Amino acid sequence: MEKERQLFDGEPVIEFQNTKDRRQFLKYAGMVGVGGTLALTGVACTNDKAKNPVSPDRKSDEPSVPQGDIDILNYALTLEFLEADFYKQGVDSGILKGRELDLIKPIADHEAAHVATLSSTITDLGGEPVAKPNFKYPDPTFKNKDDFLKTASTFEELGVKAYHGQVTLIKTPAILGAAASIAGVESRHAAVLAKLLGSNPFPAPVEGTLSMDEVLKAATPFIQS
Amino acid sequence: MERRVFLKGSAAVIPASLGLQMLMSRGTAFAQGADFKDDVEVLNYALTLEYLESEFYRQGNGAKLLSGVEAGYLKQVGADEDAHVAAISQTIKDIGGTPVAAPKVDFGEAFANRESFLKTAHIFENLGVGAYLGAASFIKTPAILQAAAGIFGVEARHAALVGDLLGLAPEGGVYQGATETPETKANVLKAAAPFLK
Repeated sequence: MEKERQLFDGEPVIEFQNTKDRRQFLKYAGMVGVGGTLALTGVACTNDKAKNPVSPDRKSDEPSVPQGDIDILNYALTLEFLEADFYKQGVDSGILKGRELDLIKPIADHEAAHVATLSSTITDLGGEPVAKPNFKYPDPTFKNKDDFLKTASTFEELGVKAYHGQVTLIKTPAILGAAASIAGVESRHAAVLAKLLGSNPFPAPVEGTLSMDEVLKAATPFIQS
Repeated sequence: MERRVFLKGSAAVIPASLGLQMLMSRGTAFAQGADFKDDVEVLNYALTLEYLESEFYRQGNGAKLLSGVEAGYLKQVGADEDAHVAAISQTIKDIGGTPVAAPKVDFGEAFANRESFLKTAHIFENLGVGAYLGAASFIKTPAILQAAAGIFGVEARHAALVGDLLGLAPEGGVYQGATETPETKANVLKAAAPFLK
């Protein structure tokens, strides 16, 4: 363990105890984002005796995942709110055309889908999704393409590092699977935006990480309340 | 492949009740408890794929089918795969395992021209993304999970960029939906089989 930690600078937290956890992870790694409200319902029931994980009369008042995981989901939700808001304004602004617009429109859709999925997942797990913050952007952000793309690239690289920074802190395998399946898409976005900007789409052979504090510090200038 | 088609195409318009049924049946497809018995097995699986990619780009980049910025991108992709091979091999040794040898490969007509090179690259990269996501849950050591996730993200970058170089449709070409799709070991090995001798 020591050696691996030195190699990758990771912090040991999660270990799959049994095949059930593993199965949960695999199941949700592929389905989050597809079913919206139902995407992670099964997780909330892992401590229940319910045979049918999506039984509507399951007990939903007791969260069955650690509060830390809910906090991480709310953290991800905050960032996705920021991205979704940012891309919606960007797409609506009319500064993007042609292939650029075609490449960025789906990004806006993805971020909106991530918001919807994370919100409903938090609710399903018995948590309280954070409210959408009010955002502010420096003046030229939506006035010209270059400023928009630069900010977009910053957000994507930040988002990627934010997700990867939580990999070893998430305790519930299903949530980890879901987060990973979102993180991969953020990596795709990051590469596309770097290419549009003429910067490096592959800054490192392995995605980097940032702590929650570091990410929130970077995002704070854009959050009004 | 069915899963992917489902995810890509119609997720947004499927009614909740129907979508749910499909999700439940999808879930079972991933439960293959015997795929990997320990971290070394997962890492050797990843190493085989990385060897395949690394050699693919060595030959492809050597064939001089690309030029300018595009050639630069693919050179970088190849360098990333080389780095993955080195890091995974080292990690396997560090935890007391034996890294598998590089497989013998045959890429057929993949290097006939620019398009065939990029198209095959696109397949490999998306396969790698699905493979890492599908295997991640078998990883027991957090530090290794962190590294595998980090590699997974970079494979997703490669896949998106190559998709864009090919001028593919953004959704379903450059991107594969709002979330990545895990792939089972069986499906990955089946997809890789034509290239392994």
